[in-house]
Amino acid sequence: MSDDRAIKWSYMDHWRSNGPSGPVDQWHSHKTMSAFLKQIKATGFDAIDTFDFRIWQMYGDYGGPAKYQEMVRDHGLERIVNTFHAADYDVRNYAPHLPETHENILEDFRVTMGRWSEIELDNIIVMPATLYYDMEPITEDKLKYSAECWNKVGEITAGFGVKLTCHHEFFCGIQSEPDIETFYSYTDPRYVSLFVDTAQHCIAGLDPVALYDRHAHRVSGFHFKDTRNVATGDDHRHRPDSEIMAPTTGKWFYEMGTPQGLVDFEAMMTAVRDNGYRGWISVEHDKANKEGGDYSESTAVSRWYAKNVLEEIYR
Amino acid sequence: MRDTLRWAYALNQWNVRLDVFVRHEDQQRALKTVSACGFDTIELASGTGRWDNISRPEVILANHGSHESFLNFLRRAKVRGVSSMFWDPQAPAEEEEGYAFRSTANPADSDAIVEWSKPFVDFLAGVGGEQLVVRPVGSAWMSPPLDADGIKVIGDVWNRIGELASAAGIGLALHYDCLGAVHTEAELTGLLQATDPATVGLALDTAEFTIGGIDPVGFYREHADRVTHVHLKDTRYADTGQEYRMPGAESTMLKGGAGRRIERWFYELGTEGGLVDVKGFVAALRERSFSGWVVVESDHGGNPAELAMLNSWYLQHELGVSKS
Repeated sequence: MSDDRAIKWSYMDHWRSNGPSGPVDQWHSHKTMSAFLKQIKATGFDAIDTFDFRIWQMYGDYGGPAKYQEMVRDHGLERIVNTFHAADYDVRNYAPHLPETHENILEDFRVTMGRWSEIELDNIIVMPATLYYDMEPITEDKLKYSAECWNKVGEITAGFGVKLTCHHEFFCGIQSEPDIETFYSYTDPRYVSLFVDTAQHCIAGLDPVALYDRHAHRVSGFHFKDTRNVATGDDHRHRPDSEIMAPTTGKWFYEMGTPQGLVDFEAMMTAVRDNGYRGWISVEHDKANKEGGDYSESTAVSRWYAKNVLEEIYR
Repeated sequence: MRDTLRWAYALNQWNVRLDVFVRHEDQQRALKTVSACGFDTIELASGTGRWDNISRPEVILANHGSHESFLNFLRRAKVRGVSSMFWDPQAPAEEEEGYAFRSTANPADSDAIVEWSKPFVDFLAGVGGEQLVVRPVGSAWMSPPLDADGIKVIGDVWNRIGELASAAGIGLALHYDCLGAVHTEAELTGLLQATDPATVGLALDTAEFTIGGIDPVGFYREHADRVTHVHLKDTRYADTGQEYRMPGAESTMLKGGAGRRIERWFYELGTEGGLVDVKGFVAALRERSFSGWVVVESDHGGNPAELAMLNSWYLQHELGVSKS
């Protein structure tokens, strides 16, 4: 941290806007990227997070992560803090609960970390399991194999100075409270951290504050976003992706401070303070444009909430 | 914004149709957006009817109960107050004799227009606003060109309303727009000469001036003593073909229905190809220690939240305005 604030705010890479050629995301052109970065900075964010798969656009359109980060800095933001490794899980060759696929996963991270090595990242974030429907029934052995996989991956990322941290989507194979606890009991705290996504845990029926309090010593970051719904029935088991296909809920995610939000952000921020966390909190509201939402407005409203509610608790 | 200039943001672009900006939570989202962008003061724009509960004074009061309750509503979003309110007496309103069509250019309409102004003057005084910003005259295409006598008629109406406003402790600012019957620099100067500098000022809108063919920086330097209010926005086009004279110029010109078929005239600060010398204009305001409100607008430009954020970035990073 370059100043004396305990908490700084990063914005996780989700965006849509309407351009002359129709709906686009910020990676559409240098012009749309500039407009995105200006909006993030204008409302008071300090940095951005991104996805691993964006690295190809960073190389193709900007000359690599370092060059892209120069553009980020030119707009007044500090840097890229975290990257999300959105792996395309496949039980044939890429599934943490299947030991025969581990070497492929490890090689993926050796290559991936090399690609990112020209900039400083805090975390590489992973969904630590395949889709639920590809892992069920969830057994202790599968949790143990998954933990062993991520212990080895974490050792690789640590070699690049980056934490491997796990983000438990409600539709992945490790999302229930007992399964999460079992998983972490097998992981090495030196190599595997927890990344608390407030909405995802709520949707899965967990209290994210209690989860954080239990694992605070190994939490390396947060996605602060809200939800209005808890998954019911087999919401978590829909192909290809329950965030999109769950029958009960068309839009899962909302920005912080949304009416009828299930996340108790004031309790969450109090816990962040009481656990002495210092560092970055990432704000996310993926798919904010669904059902008439708007990324720009959601971004401004969530930063308003961070400033006027959460920073009153801890900053 | 923390600056020697006083910055506010106009809400007009959020309220693009009578029933789309009515629910209080939608208004709160807009106010929070403006607040997150660093603006703690807003400009309102007049409207009509029961849906315009953030636009029409009587309807605002009917919805919130009192001026103080309305201010408390704004404060929930950390917006401190109202800088100003825009009103066009030429735009028919239910509350003004049941959509009566009147014009400041018609002497027979003067008494009624003065009467119509009273709810705005009273409301602004009640909420601590400083400027009633008005469209001084209707569109040029709707009437023959104005001569000096015609401009005097218009000036007389605004002098009467300026006195009313002054008595209530607020200012009156005539807002030049690119379609108005007062169009040329000479006509505008004539209107200023026909009004009392003690009670009637000018609202200088940088984009409207530029489209209308008047250099906002030069005009400001020459008439700084009359400029009491500013609307800051950019444009990529000037009306070089007198499109403002086309019948129905509100649509044919400003919505691209005819002429050069330009669908969007107004842009955010820093837009590529912008014609307004924004930095030069703001420097001129600073040189003259401008004490009025500088209201940033995103009207008729696109997504209001996006434009507010882009405008905020421009203020912070190109104009050196501190957000906090």
